[in-house]
Formats: sequence, structure tokens, C-alpha cells
Amino acid sequence: MSDKAAQGKVLLEIRNMTKAYGDHIVLENINIDVHQGEVIAIIGPSGCGKSTFLRSINLLEVPTAGTISFEGTNITDKSVNINKVRQKIGMVFQQFNLFPNMTIQENIMLAPVKLGLMSKSEAEKEAKTLLERVGLSEKANVYPAMLSGGQKQRIAIARSLAMKPDIMLFDEPTSALDPEMVGEVLNLMKRLASSGMTMLVVTHEMGFAKEVASRVLFFDEKIIKEEGTPAEVFGNPKAQRLRDFLQKVLV
Amino acid sequence: MKSYMTRFTFLLLLPIVSLLIAIKAFAAVETIDDLPGTKIGVQMGTTGDTYAKDEYEGDEAGTRIERFNKGNDAIQALKQKKVDCVIIDEQPAKAFVEKNGELKILEEEFAEEEYAICISKDNTELKEKINEILSSLKEEGILDQIIRNYIGDDTKGKFPYESPEGVQRTNGTLVMATNAYFRPYEYFENNEITGIDVDIVRAICDRLGMELKIDNMEFDSIITAVQSGKADLGAAGMTVTEERLKNIDFTDTYTLAKQVIIVLDDTAKNVKKLSLSEKFHQNFIQNNRWRYLTDGLANTIIITIFAALLGIILGFLVAIIRSSHEKNGSFAFLDMLCRLYLTVIRGTPVMIQLLIIFYIIFGSVDINKILVAVIAFGLNSGAYVAEIVRGGILSIDQGQFEAGRSLGLNFAQTMQFIIIPQAFKSVLPALANEAIVLLKETSICGYIGLTDLTRGGDIIRSDTYEAFMPLIAVAVIYLIIVVVLTKCVGKLERRLKVNER
Repeated sequence: MSDKAAQGKVLLEIRNMTKAYGDHIVLENINIDVHQGEVIAIIGPSGCGKSTFLRSINLLEVPTAGTISFEGTNITDKSVNINKVRQKIGMVFQQFNLFPNMTIQENIMLAPVKLGLMSKSEAEKEAKTLLERVGLSEKANVYPAMLSGGQKQRIAIARSLAMKPDIMLFDEPTSALDPEMVGEVLNLMKRLASSGMTMLVVTHEMGFAKEVASRVLFFDEKIIKEEGTPAEVFGNPKAQRLRDFLQKVLV
Repeated sequence: MKSYMTRFTFLLLLPIVSLLIAIKAFAAVETIDDLPGTKIGVQMGTTGDTYAKDEYEGDEAGTRIERFNKGNDAIQALKQKKVDCVIIDEQPAKAFVEKNGELKILEEEFAEEEYAICISKDNTELKEKINEILSSLKEEGILDQIIRNYIGDDTKGKFPYESPEGVQRTNGTLVMATNAYFRPYEYFENNEITGIDVDIVRAICDRLGMELKIDNMEFDSIITAVQSGKADLGAAGMTVTEERLKNIDFTDTYTLAKQVIIVLDDTAKNVKKLSLSEKFHQNFIQNNRWRYLTDGLANTIIITIFAALLGIILGFLVAIIRSSHEKNGSFAFLDMLCRLYLTVIRGTPVMIQLLIIFYIIFGSVDINKILVAVIAFGLNSGAYVAEIVRGGILSIDQGQFEAGRSLGLNFAQTMQFIIIPQAFKSVLPALANEAIVLLKETSICGYIGLTDLTRGGDIIRSDTYEAFMPLIAVAVIYLIIVVVLTKCVGKLERRLKVNER
């Protein structure tokens, strides 16, 4: 898997990225390349900066130093229209963040229509296709409040996909779910991965990381402490901190 | 337990006891010599006020002066024994007594004085013209006829002033400031202001070749209005005094007047009590008085609707600027302006704002009063709406904002399509509340002489000397609007909520 990923062209290139809040450094000197088709699982203890790392990629958090190049464009450059870039970077949040005042279909259609990427009827068709894909066709006209957590997250994924992104960021997508709903979301993500979508997933689901990821990053103490294939990271962890971490989460 | 009972009884007795004290404290005034130590009612800013202040206020006997906006209010207070006597001009006093059997005028005259028209010191040209016209009106006997048409039992109504035929009114409009609660000089009749002063100024306008526009306001606002150019002249049974001459010029005097003292007449017990239906008829049916209420209501509604709209637009703008600034530091200068606006508007009474906008900002501009009210109340309401909406925007989860931005919507689009619609829904009850407050706040429109619902009721009250019917009617109308408004908002709220279930 890692071989195949390594062959894809480089989609995302992060160089010397540092993020600090005042004097408090959260991430220090991060360097990483993400190739097309890669599925990267990001793990680490809470507070290690893995969410901040993910949110920096679409500039929800603005890095203090360093560069982020996406499809060849340095997006940290002030002259770059970040809104255009974000259209190609999908994001799924822990708390779903569906728009409660809109129906499911409206949630999915909003961005493509308002940004002039699709006509209303095109967006409607696209929404229908996506709803089928996430298995929630019958929910098109209900409001988010009527869905379970798992269903909400599947809709959130569909909403991101409606923008036809080149890469998807998942920020702990199953952490806010009841255990029995985790499976449906992970299954959808698995299918998405096997369809060739480039994905970065911050997760605590080690099973998912092992099974689906092409690469695993272990964030700790402001840096990427260790990285490798799931087999390397889970099977033969080198750093003591990683071993301690895995011992705690893989009980 | 016992002490609770005593306290409770005491609380119950308190109003009764104080009522008794109040009644006992009512002092009978039979001559001028009885005045010290009493409570004297006057109309604010009149010469009666000045005399009472100069002669009695702060004296050793503890005389107290109660100042009312209108002569009628002073008379009503006298009837309810809230004051012991009222010092007021003779002719209005006669009119009051005539309409209220239980009053009498003391024989002794309090002071003599002369009425004149006031004109801005900068406008000597107009003053000279009017002086000329006044003297010819006097010579031709027209002035005398106008006065006798209102005063004198055998001449009343016999010499109504008619404009000569074929008057060319090509020289513009003359604005006359007055206070139309001063029978027989100026008062409302059949929804129009009429009286001696009105007829005199009409005659003046006829000779100047000008249209007359009457601007009704508080008596103590007239001089300000003339000074600021809001009105060309003031004619309101106004006495020439030293104090006033400091600020304003007067034409030659056109009539003599006296200040008299009105007191309750204990001997007149045979005052006819009207039944409720007779009172109703007198207050609303007679002379089509209900029209004061409907006309006023129309103004109140127009002002409320447009002020609310202006307030909402302004409020949303300010809220968006301020919350944008809070979220990403943009609009620093505008944010500062907004905060200044909020501080000033929320830090001063709306009444003062209304007066400032009318007398200072639009001081020398001839502007529709309804427009002034809409601007004043809209500006005021905007500040409160802004804070409500800002609170609403801040209450929307930051995740909603991030979701919008992560989809590629820019800041403005995220605000417009995602944040504002949700914020609007969450602040709707508070906005409705603000609209209700606004509706009731417009009741101070009377202070710029605008006949709103409250002022409409006041006009009836000053005409019929009846407080109960007009005040209750006005209250009931406000109440009905508020109840209906509250119901509508409740419905709207429920409908918006249904979506999310």
C-alpha cells in the first residue's frame, strides 16, 4: 500500500511548519509530503497538536511559520485566495457541524450552488447521488436534528464530497459518536479510501488506522515523533512514548 | 407571627393613611394672601410660572410650585386636589371654569400683562412687516373683531374671521409655533387648531401673501423653535417679559391679559355628573373626537413600523461589523464608530435624542416630523437591535462558522447564508420585544408636537377635561397592539421551530 501511495504525485507539501499561540508552541518544524491516494492516520495523545496540524492544512489555523503547498500552490502566501483552495479540501468535524436550519439536501447543496459551481438542478442531482452513496436517500428532506449521530456524520461527509474535493481531512470523526454508530461511519470512510480519495484522519480508532491507513503519523511533543506503515508503527514501535501510548489505547 | 401581622396591617393602612394626610393637607385659598404655604399649579414656562416662582417659591411658608406641561393638566390636578390653586391667564381660566362647574376664579387679579408675537432676533424684517400689519388691523377694527369673536358673551361667534377673497399666496409658507391648549387663544376643535392667535396670524398671512402652517408643541418649546428657525414666529398668548426678551424679539402687543387664580368652588355641589355612556359620547363621539385617536394611531403605527425597519437594518449592520471585528479583526475603524454610536445612544434617554434630532440636527430645516420621529426612534432602536443580534451571532457555535469556511465560502457568504439566518432565529423573541418597547416609546412623540396616539388622547383630555376615558382608551389600544404583536411573534417562532424537529 505504501508503495502505491509513494508512486502518486505529491498533493500536499508541508515544510518547516510551526504553530504557536503567543509563547506556547504547539507544533514545531513539521515536514511532510502527502501523495495522491494516500490514507494517513494521525494518532497521538490528546493535546499533542494533531488536530491543530489538520486544521492548519486548510488554514482554519494559520501557521506561525513555514509553508504549506497544495497542488503546487503555497497557500500560506497572503495573495492566494484561500476560499478557492478550501473548495478542494474537504473537512469533516468531530461535532459534524451540519447547518441545523437547513434540510439534509440543502446542507449538501449550499456550497456548490452559492459558490456558482453547480446549478440548482445539478446540485440536486449530485445531492441525490451522494445521499445514495452514504445510504441516506430517504433523509433528503429532513432536518439534522432528526438524525442520529452516525447519520449526521455520514451527511457531513456527503456535504464535503459535494464540492468534489481532492483531499479530505477528518478531525476525530467518530469521537462524538455512541459506540454502536462508529461502525457505519468508519465503513463509509473505508469505502471512500478504496475509491482512491486522499485522506488525512485524526483518529483514536487504532483498528481503522491499522486496516485502512497507508501511513501512520504519531504526533507527540510538538513533532511527528514516529511515522511509517501501520505494520511498522503498530508492529514495531521504536519510540518509548509511542510504545507507552499504544499500550494505553490497545488494551 | 404577630409582628408579621402588624407589619402587614401597617402596609395595608399606609396608602389609606397617606391619602387622608393628602386630603387634610389640601389648603383652601380664598384670597391672594392665602397663597403662601400652598401648592400652586402652573403651566411650565408661562408668566404664571414666573410670578409664582418669583413671589413664592422657596419662601418661609414652604410654598410649592407644581409645573405642568399644559394648563389643562394643572386644572385636572386642581380638580383632584393635587394642587390648591392654579395661576393662569384670564381668558383660558374663564374657559376652564366655564367647562368645569366646580371651579371659580378669585376676584383679585394677580398680575396684568400684554401678549405679543415672538420672532427671532435675526428676523427684524418680518417683525417690522408684522408690526405694520398689526397696527392696520387695529385701525380697521379687525383685531377687535377677532378677539370679540372668542371673548364676550354677547359677541362670541359673531365675527368669524374670513380671509379676503383672491389672496395670492405666492410668498411661501409662514410657520407659526403654538401650544394649542390655551382656549380661547389656541385650541383644538374638530381636529383643527383655532383661536384668537390663529385668526390673527391668519390675517397677517393674508396680508403677507403667505400660506400658514401651524406647528403645535409644548409651550416652553416655542421660543426654542422660533430661535432655531423651526418656526417663523410664535403666537401662543405669550407675554412680553424681560427674561424672554433676552432670547427673542416681540412684535407690538396685540392684547391685554391678566393672570388670575383658579380655585375649587366648594359651593358648587350641583355639578352634573355624567353617566359612563354620556362620558363616552362626550369623549369620543361628540365633535368626532375619536378621530384624534385614529389619526394618532395611524402616526404611531407608521412611526413604529419604519423605525423598526430602520432599527433592524442599522442593528444588523452594526452587529455584523462588530462581530466581524471580534472574529477576525477587520473593520477596526468602523468598529470604533459603532461602539461610539452604541455608547451614545444607549447612554442617553430616547426623549433627549428625539429633541436633539428635532431641534438641533434638523434645527433649521423644514422637515416632516414623522420622518424625524422615524429617524430618532430608528437610530435608538438600532443600538439595542445591534446588541441583541451581536449576542445572537456570538451564540452560534464556532463550528458552524468553520464548516462554512471549510467548504470554501468566504467570510461574508458564511455570515449571510449560515450564521445570520440562525442568529436571526435565535434572537427573534428579543427583537419582537424590542419592537414592542419601540411601539410604546413612540408615545413621547408629542414632545415634538407630533400627534401620535398618546397625544391624540391628550388632545381629547384637554378638550373634555376628562382623564378617565381618553387615557383608558389609549392604554387599551396600545395593549391590543402589543397583545396581537406578541401572538404573531409566538406563531412565527413556533413555525420556525417546527423545521428543526
